[in-house]
Amino acid sequence: MKKILLTSLCLVILMVLGCSNDAQVSLDVSTDDRKEQSTKSVSSSAQNTEKSQAQSTQKTGGGTFRRLWSDPPTLDPHLTKDTTSAGIVVEIFSGLVGLSTDLELVADLAETWDIDSTGTIYTFKIRENAKFHNGKNVTADDVKWSFERSASKETASPVAETYLGDIVGLKDYMEGKADSIKGLKVIDQQTIQITIDAPKPYFLAKLSYPTSYVLDRDVVTAGGRNWWLENPVGTGPFKLTEYKIGERIVLTRNDDYHLGPIDIHKIEMYLGGGQSMAMYENDEIDITGVGLFDLERVLDKQEPLNKDLVIAPPGFSISYIGFNTTMPPFDDKKFRQALNHAIDKKMIAKDVLSDLVVPAYRILPIGFPGRSENIDGLSYDQDLAKQLLKESKYSDSSSRPRITITVPGTGGTLGLDLEVILEMWKQTLDIEVEIQQVEWATFLEELDKEALQVYAGLGWEADYPDPQDFLDILFHSQSAQNHGQHSNSQLDDILERARVEQDINSRIELYRQAEQIIVNEAYWVPLWFTGEQYALIKPRVQGYVLTPMTVPKLSKLKISE
Amino acid sequence: MWNYIIRRLLWVPFLLLVVSFISFMLFRLGPGDPVLVILGNKYDPSSQSAQNLREELGLDKPLMVQFANYSVNFFQGDFGESYRYRGQSVRKLISAKMWISAQLSLAALVISTTIGIPLGFFIAHKQGGWQDPAIVTICLVVMSIPVMVFVPVLLWLLCLKNLWLPFWGGIPCSGWGGLFDQRIIVPALSMGLPGVAVFVRLMRASTLDVMKQDYIVTAHSKGLGPFVIDTRHVFRNAVIPIVTILSFSLAGLIGGAIITETIMGIPGIGRLAVQSVFDRDYPVIMAITLITAGFFAIANLLADITYALVDPRIRYR
Amino acid sequence: MTQNVKTEQEIKSFKTKGHIHRAFDRLIRKKLAVGCLVILGIIYLSGITVDWISPYGYTDQDYTQIRQSPNSSHWLGTDRAGRDVFTRVLWGIQNTLILTFVGMLTGGLILGVTMGLVSGYFGGYIDAIIQRTGEIVSSIPTFFLILIISATVRPRIIEFVRWVEDNSFLEGLVRGGIVDYFVISLSLVSFGWIGTARLVRGQILYLKETQFIDAARSIGVSTPNVLFRHLLPNAISPLIVTVTMGMGSMIGAEIFLSWIGLGIQPPRPSLGVMLWESGNISVIRTEPWLMFAPGSVAFLMVLAWNLLGDALNDVFNPRTY
Repeated sequence: MKKILLTSLCLVILMVLGCSNDAQVSLDVSTDDRKEQSTKSVSSSAQNTEKSQAQSTQKTGGGTFRRLWSDPPTLDPHLTKDTTSAGIVVEIFSGLVGLSTDLELVADLAETWDIDSTGTIYTFKIRENAKFHNGKNVTADDVKWSFERSASKETASPVAETYLGDIVGLKDYMEGKADSIKGLKVIDQQTIQITIDAPKPYFLAKLSYPTSYVLDRDVVTAGGRNWWLENPVGTGPFKLTEYKIGERIVLTRNDDYHLGPIDIHKIEMYLGGGQSMAMYENDEIDITGVGLFDLERVLDKQEPLNKDLVIAPPGFSISYIGFNTTMPPFDDKKFRQALNHAIDKKMIAKDVLSDLVVPAYRILPIGFPGRSENIDGLSYDQDLAKQLLKESKYSDSSSRPRITITVPGTGGTLGLDLEVILEMWKQTLDIEVEIQQVEWATFLEELDKEALQVYAGLGWEADYPDPQDFLDILFHSQSAQNHGQHSNSQLDDILERARVEQDINSRIELYRQAEQIIVNEAYWVPLWFTGEQYALIKPRVQGYVLTPMTVPKLSKLKISE
Repeated sequence: MWNYIIRRLLWVPFLLLVVSFISFMLFRLGPGDPVLVILGNKYDPSSQSAQNLREELGLDKPLMVQFANYSVNFFQGDFGESYRYRGQSVRKLISAKMWISAQLSLAALVISTTIGIPLGFFIAHKQGGWQDPAIVTICLVVMSIPVMVFVPVLLWLLCLKNLWLPFWGGIPCSGWGGLFDQRIIVPALSMGLPGVAVFVRLMRASTLDVMKQDYIVTAHSKGLGPFVIDTRHVFRNAVIPIVTILSFSLAGLIGGAIITETIMGIPGIGRLAVQSVFDRDYPVIMAITLITAGFFAIANLLADITYALVDPRIRYR
Repeated sequence: MTQNVKTEQEIKSFKTKGHIHRAFDRLIRKKLAVGCLVILGIIYLSGITVDWISPYGYTDQDYTQIRQSPNSSHWLGTDRAGRDVFTRVLWGIQNTLILTFVGMLTGGLILGVTMGLVSGYFGGYIDAIIQRTGEIVSSIPTFFLILIISATVRPRIIEFVRWVEDNSFLEGLVRGGIVDYFVISLSLVSFGWIGTARLVRGQILYLKETQFIDAARSIGVSTPNVLFRHLLPNAISPLIVTVTMGMGSMIGAEIFLSWIGLGIQPPRPSLGVMLWESGNISVIRTEPWLMFAPGSVAFLMVLAWNLLGDALNDVFNPRTY
């Protein structure tokens, strides 16, 4: 007995030592050929299909676009709620309408649509040539079924109500009170009618989000909960040909794509992590963002990388410090304004953050549809700040209530910008702020309870390009995302009117008024419009558009060798 | 002996049950709600969507029912579905990620042992000379470098300054592919080199112990050459206790890999573990805790059995 | 009675004092160990006295001096917010120092030794309970356990203390970082005691069978007396070695904790957070001092403890040397 054990133990050692020799040898040898071998064997099935495709469409270019990505939480469009998933989902699946790279609403599966005079009934005509990846035609029944799946109790999509909530009868269906959504009507196989509860001009923009993408019923019901891992059949420009967790995702072009031929042949997304900048320099990937520490080097004209530099428009997102306006001392408007005017954002953006961010003095990001330029922002003015503080109820520092700022801290650090801001408040206004850092889950719970006095480290990113997505959702007194309990009846009124205003110009004007009120009331300290500002793209890649939102864009790529 | 092993094995499920109860309760009683994390700060937690989600995840049931359900499923081999990676089975997710980390750990272990064991064996023979303290000191120096500094320095030195090795990234992780890829060297070095000191010390002590044994003295007096004695008797016997440490090293794969994986962006089990704690991804947390606890229990058992075999004076109580 | 006391003392002085003294003599003869002691002394002294010796405050920001490389006014340069890195490193040392010592004292020593003594001396089901508990705790991966405790238990405690602060005359407990120190030590303790407890237990099991304990018991010395005056002193030398060697990993754990974002609250600087902010390859290219300043201090501390532990090991266990 003992002997057997001992020998088996020795065997283990020998195995380990034996392995080590192997590994050692192969590690030293150049592994180029090995790499090729393994990739071949790994994706042999994928390559077979590729070959046939490549032969048939050799004239229309080809090539592979390589980039770094990370494991998407899901590829089920109806469950998608984050950019990591959405970035892939929008390339594989599609819905009735979509967004172009210019962020304009464009027809996708629907060829045309009509809106009736009340602005509540939408009639979509589905394209004749719209096909799923498995060759089936897309019908109105598929659309109806997809909407209903998305909102169903079993799917339990976290975002269904946000994006589909305007459809008549959705609420009843989600609660399980109805068998189908009342507002959806199949007219014929190519026509579907959607009725919404009020004439909301942003409804179409909401439909561009993956929640309302169209899926093939048979595939989804046959595949069970993991259907998208086994057989992700969509209607988008690319097919998912390979997904290995933690390794890579390969997308191959859909030759029957209803919006015309695609030039690029394959997209490879590496999920295995790595140092993006260094991999770019090693020519292992075609695109990388530029981080804070690399920026100076890349901006240097002498550096060869400088040629590849692309400057992207700032993203449709804003980071901010929020005040809970029911808690003293933030119930005083003057006090909030004083805090706002005391921050030199230009200096921070330039010296501390190396111009990676754009200072924000208002709410709507640069270039956002429906943004009007004439808003008086909360600019930097030390004297005004001191003046306002003196006029406020809390000018006396000894009787001022304790101020605690809460920051979500899974990163291990407060953020340099915030540390500088707190110091500025202390120096200019002599306001001491206590910092409380809690990890993300705790932070969200406190935020939901509206128990936070001041909160930072939050951002808001647009999901659809309409001012309603910023102003109404964040500042309407009834909105769940109004974490600072801001309440202003005048503002509510304007926002409610803007929801159903049909004339585009008066709608923009209403949102201008709303934004001006928000800025004047200083509910927030808007900090930065953030986003992927600097990126490097290999010169061989053409047609890559950096957009401030997640939209399908890979089908426009061309690779020139 | 068999009696003892069986008793120890019977203890394992009980231990797992207690461990799962502790980690289950720690999370439920602490702050943080997975539904809120899934919704983020962007979506309404009071909406019907959120309610459906809560029901779907089974979080609306009483705590004890949740725990009972989980335990029953777990002991049937069903680890549930991840909250963050909706719809993906935890078993699949963890095995994919664990395999990535396992390759790293294995490569690291190979580095630690192939350097550590011969070195330890060597300096045991140089007792009293300068080599002994010098090598121990060098190993300790390497061990003391913080990993957060070690990894970037290694990367800079090997991949950027001298271009000897490619950076980590896009490595084939399924199958044995990753183990034979050049890119594994840097993370494996950063995890393996600090471990050399452990093996040097252990091997040195173990070798010295063996060299004093009667059978070695006998071998010497029989007139066997020192080389034959070393290879045939000393090394073989000295290396046996080290094996138990090996099993612990494999079991401790999670903690050791977190830092390296985070800095290098390797999507392994260490990062998944940290992320799941922050995300309150209960099924993943539970599965990782239980799997490692199981590993540790088995490593413990193995260690005890080997000790008992090596040293018959230890009795099984 | 006097007779008894005398025997006791004799036993003690013969068994322990001489042993420790001899060990200390041997330690002093090792140059490396003395060097380590000196390094630790300097680092810890500067950490303790940072309030007096540092030229700047740890939040002082000078926007005209952003990202300066080391120079005469900023010995270790400045960071992106124009703060003096030297000052911040010193404060980081203080932070690490308090946490690791508190953790080691409460967990490694008080809890661990008591558990070990009790477990070893009484045996039976008490022993079984303590050992099984230890096994359960140690089978949850250490870092994971720390992570879980600081993520879940800490907010609850801070909540409670804030409530106490609001409802009493107590002030500044949270702001002063006392709560943080307490909770982080607690999570460091959660795994720290097991090793010590096992070690002490083993020693006690061995010593229990020796004649001098039998003698002490037969002359009617009380149980606590036997435990703390006879058994413990005899188990002290391996204890010193483990504690010394454990300090290195304790420091590592503390740095890891703040590195991952669960350490002391900002704006208090900590080595882990500084390493998080600057521990990447681009920093080596552009601002290496940001990484190497906290990095090398952490390295020196861990190294000194490790070398010291090694030297002590040689001193106390000359068998292997």
